[in-house]
Amino acid sequence: MTAAVEFHNVSRHFGTVRAVDRVDLAIDEGSFFAMLGPSGSGKTTCLRLISGFEKPTTGSIRIFGEDMGDVPPNRRHVNTVFQDYALFPHMNVRDNVAYGLMVKGVERRTRHERAEELLSLVKLDGFGERKPAQLSGGQRQRVALARALVNEPRVLLLDEPLGALDLKLREAMQDELKALQRRLGITFVFVTHDQGEALSMADRVAVFNDGRIAQVGTPSDVYDRPATRFVADFVGSSNVLPPDLTRSFGGPRLWASLRPESIRFTGASDPKAKGRVTALRYLGSGTRVALETGGQEIAVLVPAGAPVPDIGEVSGLTWDPAALHLMEDA
Amino acid sequence: MDSAHPSRGVADRLTGVFWSRPKLLTALLIAPPLLWLGVVYVGSLAALLLQSFYSIDEFSGVVVPEFTLKTYAELLRPSNFDVIVRTVTMAAAVTLASVAVAFPIAFFAARYARGRWKALFYLGVMLPLWSSYLVKVYAWKLILAKEGIVTWAAEGIGAGNVLGAVLAIPVIGGNSLSTSYIGTFLVFVYVWLPYMILPMQAALERVPGSLLEASADLGAGGWRTFRSVILPLALPGIIAGSIFTFSLTLGDYIIPQIIGSSRFFIGQAVYSLQGTAGNIPLAAAFAVVPIVIMLIYLAVARKMGAFDAL
Repeated sequence: MTAAVEFHNVSRHFGTVRAVDRVDLAIDEGSFFAMLGPSGSGKTTCLRLISGFEKPTTGSIRIFGEDMGDVPPNRRHVNTVFQDYALFPHMNVRDNVAYGLMVKGVERRTRHERAEELLSLVKLDGFGERKPAQLSGGQRQRVALARALVNEPRVLLLDEPLGALDLKLREAMQDELKALQRRLGITFVFVTHDQGEALSMADRVAVFNDGRIAQVGTPSDVYDRPATRFVADFVGSSNVLPPDLTRSFGGPRLWASLRPESIRFTGASDPKAKGRVTALRYLGSGTRVALETGGQEIAVLVPAGAPVPDIGEVSGLTWDPAALHLMEDA
Repeated sequence: MDSAHPSRGVADRLTGVFWSRPKLLTALLIAPPLLWLGVVYVGSLAALLLQSFYSIDEFSGVVVPEFTLKTYAELLRPSNFDVIVRTVTMAAAVTLASVAVAFPIAFFAARYARGRWKALFYLGVMLPLWSSYLVKVYAWKLILAKEGIVTWAAEGIGAGNVLGAVLAIPVIGGNSLSTSYIGTFLVFVYVWLPYMILPMQAALERVPGSLLEASADLGAGGWRTFRSVILPLALPGIIAGSIFTFSLTLGDYIIPQIIGSSRFFIGQAVYSLQGTAGNIPLAAAFAVVPIVIMLIYLAVARKMGAFDAL
């Protein structure tokens, strides 16, 4: 099977800055693919390389096996949901959605009908006459989605699609986007800096750091088996243990990741480790306890209802041996 | 008395008065400019309008202060009407040429120029506005003169016959560039260009780059994006600029006097009628023409949706 999008050793330099540095990537057709990373990690540039708004300095990009070397954005069968939505302010919602069809020369009646269909797909029936300025953020986001889908792209690119929405709306849209992707069966590639969003929506996640891909895998690969210290720390703020601490925790002398929620307090006489509580952070669903052990700070997530130690208290810690995940020295 | 608030001075009390009556402060702030605009500006405009409904006694040359439309009828006399047609045609041509010349400059400045280039752009556009208008116009007279640099350069590159052919065009041609309508037109475009570039650039600056990308993303080529996205969003700026170039050309009486054929434009007609001829009513009627034309122009622009994006 040909991949929907392939990167072959792609770099994009801006002057001396290597925004994207020798990236190899294959995105399967029909998958929901997340590009996750902090700002400046190259994920947005990668998205723009797919849409064609950036050209690779070196390397090549293929979309459904076809080399995109000299294909401009308007000739690519991919469409984008922009971060700021980029709705045309002088057109009403219907004309915004129908824009792609207007460009193709589809006659007015047909394109308006099609626009109405897409508006109903994103649950905005009856909003066609309104101007973008009269819509809420969530509604604009749906219009941008409908507009990007009107040309029936085989790959839909979403640049921080939920970034501007408030928490509740964001969670609702996560479910909707996921359902929409399943229904349409096309490839979604979305960029986010929110690891929760990436883990909950994507089939596969690429974690970016400094213009390179640190790890590609399923959400549970990335979360449970981080390949590097960066991935362990960025995805779910794991405890990253230096080799000496790993050793004192009963492992080999290697870097390791130990998730805060995998650690439990124990009253047993020989705990796997001991730590002195330095800070407590109440999260609602639980409490994050910071402890000092072996000159290193580690965090423990105590679920709501379980007893929480006091600051200054020395507590015994234990965990399931499989929870200690060893990493390459990177 | 022991109070949490220290005793208040006069300024403090005044602040209190304004704080509790916010409309009072607004009224005080806008009163002087409102008086200036209302009395000095609108008042004199009303006086002008009134004068245009008077007429002049043909024998004594005295203004008859009685309401009549006779003076307006006089505007339609061929010799006067020609002046209006000539001026409006020139203003329209100057405006269209300014739009065409200003757009690429404004687009470049809004989209691509950053930092030092942007400063250079503003300097380049504004610099001509800092020097005397008269000096610029006289400089152009020399540039466009028969013995001037344009003729010299045209002959130097063997294009003398091209220049000759252009000047041989009836009506707009003439003995030399500086004595033809072409010359008047060129100088008008030069002098008013900044007034077109600046509002246009401001309008284009407000168009986010992502809109152009969205258009391309949806399959539009450059020309389609220009027509469907850039132009409609830049239209308020273009209209604003054209209000300047159009009305400034309609009212100017110096450029056509120094450069061009000796035939009158509206401004010159007003100038000579209220001066030597002493025909204030006709001068006033002439002066009303640009106002009416601008009102019609704005109404049409509004109807076409030029201000929808404001």
